[in-house]
Amino acid sequence: MKKSFLMGVAVAALFAGAASAADLKFAPGQDSKFNWKSYDDFKAAHADLKGQPLTIFGPWRGEDEAFFMSVLAYFTEATGVDAKYSSSENYEQQIVIDTQAGSPPNIAILPQPGLLADLASKGFLTPLGDDNSKWIKDNYGAGDSWVGYGTYKGKDGKEAFYAFPYKADVKSLVWYVPENFEEAGYKIPTTMEELHALTDQIVKDGGVPWCIGLGSGGATGWPATDWVEDIMLRMQPPEAYDKWTTNELKFTDPAVVAAIDEFGKFAKNEKYVDGGVAAVASTDFRDSPKGLFAVPPKCYMHHQASFIPSFFPEGTKLGQDADFFYMPTYASKPELGKPVLGAGTLVSIAKDSKAARAFIDFLKTPIAHEVWMAQSSFLTPYKSVSTEAYANPQMKKEGEILTSATTFRFDGSDLMPGKIGAGAFWTGMVDFVGGKSAEEAAGEIQSAWDGIK
Amino acid sequence: MLWQIVSALSVVVVAVVACSAYFYFSNKILDFALPVSDGDVRAASRNLNRRAMIRPWLFLGPALFLLFVYLVYPVVATFILSFYDRTGLQFVGLTNYKWAIGDREFRQSIFNNILWLAVVPAACTFFGLVIAVMTDRIWWGNIAKSIVFMPMAISFVGASVIWKFIYEYRGGNDVQIGLLNAIVQLFGGTPEVWISVPFWNNFFLMVILIWIQTGFAMVILSAALRGIPEETIEAAVIDGANGWQIFWRIMVPQVWGTIAVVWTTITILVLKVFDIVLTMTNGQWQTMVLANLMFDWMFRGGGDSGRSAVIAIIIMLAVTPIMIWNVRRANRELKGH
Repeated sequence: MKKSFLMGVAVAALFAGAASAADLKFAPGQDSKFNWKSYDDFKAAHADLKGQPLTIFGPWRGEDEAFFMSVLAYFTEATGVDAKYSSSENYEQQIVIDTQAGSPPNIAILPQPGLLADLASKGFLTPLGDDNSKWIKDNYGAGDSWVGYGTYKGKDGKEAFYAFPYKADVKSLVWYVPENFEEAGYKIPTTMEELHALTDQIVKDGGVPWCIGLGSGGATGWPATDWVEDIMLRMQPPEAYDKWTTNELKFTDPAVVAAIDEFGKFAKNEKYVDGGVAAVASTDFRDSPKGLFAVPPKCYMHHQASFIPSFFPEGTKLGQDADFFYMPTYASKPELGKPVLGAGTLVSIAKDSKAARAFIDFLKTPIAHEVWMAQSSFLTPYKSVSTEAYANPQMKKEGEILTSATTFRFDGSDLMPGKIGAGAFWTGMVDFVGGKSAEEAAGEIQSAWDGIK
Repeated sequence: MLWQIVSALSVVVVAVVACSAYFYFSNKILDFALPVSDGDVRAASRNLNRRAMIRPWLFLGPALFLLFVYLVYPVVATFILSFYDRTGLQFVGLTNYKWAIGDREFRQSIFNNILWLAVVPAACTFFGLVIAVMTDRIWWGNIAKSIVFMPMAISFVGASVIWKFIYEYRGGNDVQIGLLNAIVQLFGGTPEVWISVPFWNNFFLMVILIWIQTGFAMVILSAALRGIPEETIEAAVIDGANGWQIFWRIMVPQVWGTIAVVWTTITILVLKVFDIVLTMTNGQWQTMVLANLMFDWMFRGGGDSGRSAVIAIIIMLAVTPIMIWNVRRANRELKGH
C-alpha cells in the first residue's frame, strides 16, 4: 500500500515537474523589463537541490493562486525542487492545526504578523537570520518597518527575524470613476477637509458619495477596521498608532474613539452611503464597489485597498474606467506627513530544510517579484525591481507609494492579537455601524482585550 | 481523480483484509496457545473455559482500542488542558474556568444555547408530529413527507447558504433579491437586515435547523404512529372523541417514548450546533453559541487551548446527562418495559 502510494506521488511529481517546465510565463532572457540576471545567478547558486521536497502553505486562492504558481514555476525550474503549494479558505485556522499537530508545511505564508508572532512564541517557526533582516532593511522601502513586522519573540523569549515580507497591499486608497467626477465637475480632494466638503457637495447635488460594504461572511467588519486605521494614522502620530496596536494606548482612549467617530461621520449618515446605514454592514465588500459603475452612479467614492480592482466589473480599464487617489490627510495636521497604511504577506519557515532556505533566497531576486507584478495585483516595496514590469500605470503608481514611503504602517488589526484584530474589532465595528456609540463599541473591544491577558 | 478513486478503493480492500486477518490469526493463536488435546481431559476443559473467556476480548479489542484512542483519551486530554494556559504548558489551575464565568461573550453563548435548546427540539418535534399525523390519511401524504424530509439530505452549510438568500438584504431602492424581504416589500413593509437584528436573529438561524430536522422527527414519529393499534382509535371514535381529543389523549400518550427519543436526539444536536452559526454570522450580532466560541478561541490568532478546552468540557457536561438518560431509557425499553 505504502509503496503504491509513494509511486503515485512520484508519478504526480513527475507530471508536476514536466508541467512547470513548460509553464514559465515569460521565457527567461527575453523581455528586457525583467531582471533575468538575478534569475540566472539564483539558478547557478542553487542547482544542487534536485528532487528535494518543499511544501508551501499560503493564503492565495483562485486567481492569486494561479499567479503564485507562475512565480513558483521559476523557482522549481531553477532548482529542481519538488515544490507543492496548498491553501485553505480558512488558512488562519489551518496553519494553527497543522503546526499544533506536528505536520507543518516547510514554508508558511500568512498576511497576519500577529498570528505569526503567536506561532513564533510557541516555537513553531525557524528564525531566518540577521543577514535576511539586514537585507530587508537595505532593500525595501521603509525597510525598518518591514523588519519590525517580521521580528517576534521566540519560545526562548528572544527576539529574532522570522518572517520575510513578500507581496504588499496599499490600503490608503479611495477609488472613483474619473468620468463620473468629470461629469459632475468634482475635483480630487487633496485634504481631509476637502474630502468632507466634497462628500457634502455630492449630497447637495442629489448624489450619494460613498459605497461602503463591511460584509465578508464570518469576517464581516474588517473593511471598517481599515477605515479606522487609516483615519488613526491621519489624526495621530505613528507612535500612537504603534501603541494602539499593542494596547498600550487603550481602545477607550479619546484618540481612538475620535478616529472611530470620524469613520462614523461617513458610514453612519443615511445620506452619505449607498443603501443607507443598514446596508453598510450587510453589503458584501466584494459587491460594494459595483455601485461606482452603475448608471447613474450609486456612489462616487469607495475606500478600499489595492486589491479591489479584482472585484470591479469585467473589462474595467484601470486609469480610464476607474482610478484611485491617495486617502488625503488633514490640512490642520501637517506635522503627520503622508502616512501609508498597508498590508502584506509574510513568508516564514515552519519546517527547516535546504529547499526552504533556497525559497527565501529566491524571494530576494527581483525576478520573483517582477513575474507577478507583470501579471496583476502584486505590489512590492523592493526598491531594485524594475517598475517597468508593473502591469499597468496604476499599479506602478501604487508601487511607488510603497517604495517611497517613509511612514509605512501595517494594517493594525493584523498586528493585534487574533481574538481582537480578527474578532472583537470586527464585531465592535459592526455594532458601531449598527447603532452603538463609538465609546460603547470601543469599550467592548477593550474589555475583550483585557480578557485575553 | 482516477488516482484518488484507486487509492480509496485500495484502502478499503487493505482494511477489510487486515480486519479479517486479525480475527482469523488471533483466533488461531489463541487456539494454539491453549490447546484442547484428547490426552488430558482436565487440561482440555480448563483451556476451553479460558478460550471462552478470552475470545470476546479479542473480538472487542480493536473497537475498545479505537474507542480509547478517539474518545477516552481526547476527553481526558481536553480536561487536563483546561487547567493549563493558552500554550498548554503552564499549569494555571481554575483560572480558565473563572474566566469563562466572567466573560461576557461566554455568558452570551450560554444564553443563546439555552434559547436554541428551548426552541429547536420543541419546534422540530411539534412540527414533525403534526405533519406525521396530518399526512397519514391523505393520498398525497407521501409526496408531502418526501418534500419535508428532503432538507435532511442537505448539509448544514448548504442549508445555510440557501437561507442566506432568503434573508438577503439589498439597500436603498435596489430590488430585493432576498425572498423574505421581497415578501415584506410586496406587502408594503420596509426591508430589514434580518441576520443583524440582535436577539431575533437567533431565531432566524434556528429556523434553518428546524427546517433541516423536522423531516427526521416526522419520519420517526410517523413510524410510531403506524404502530398505534387501530382499536384504541376506533374505540375513541365510538366514544365520541373529536380529532383534537384523539390526537392529544390517544395518539400522543402512545408515542410518548418516541417523542422523547426524537426530542433528546435533537437536543444533543442543538448543543453541538456550529455550522449554521459559522456560515451565517460567525457569532457576530450577538449570535455566538458555545461550539463557535470554542472554535474561535482554539483557532483564531494562534489559539488558546486552555480556554477552548474549558468550553469543550462545558459542552460535554451539558450533553452527558441527556445521553445517560437516553441510554437508560433505551435499556429499560429493551428489557421489555
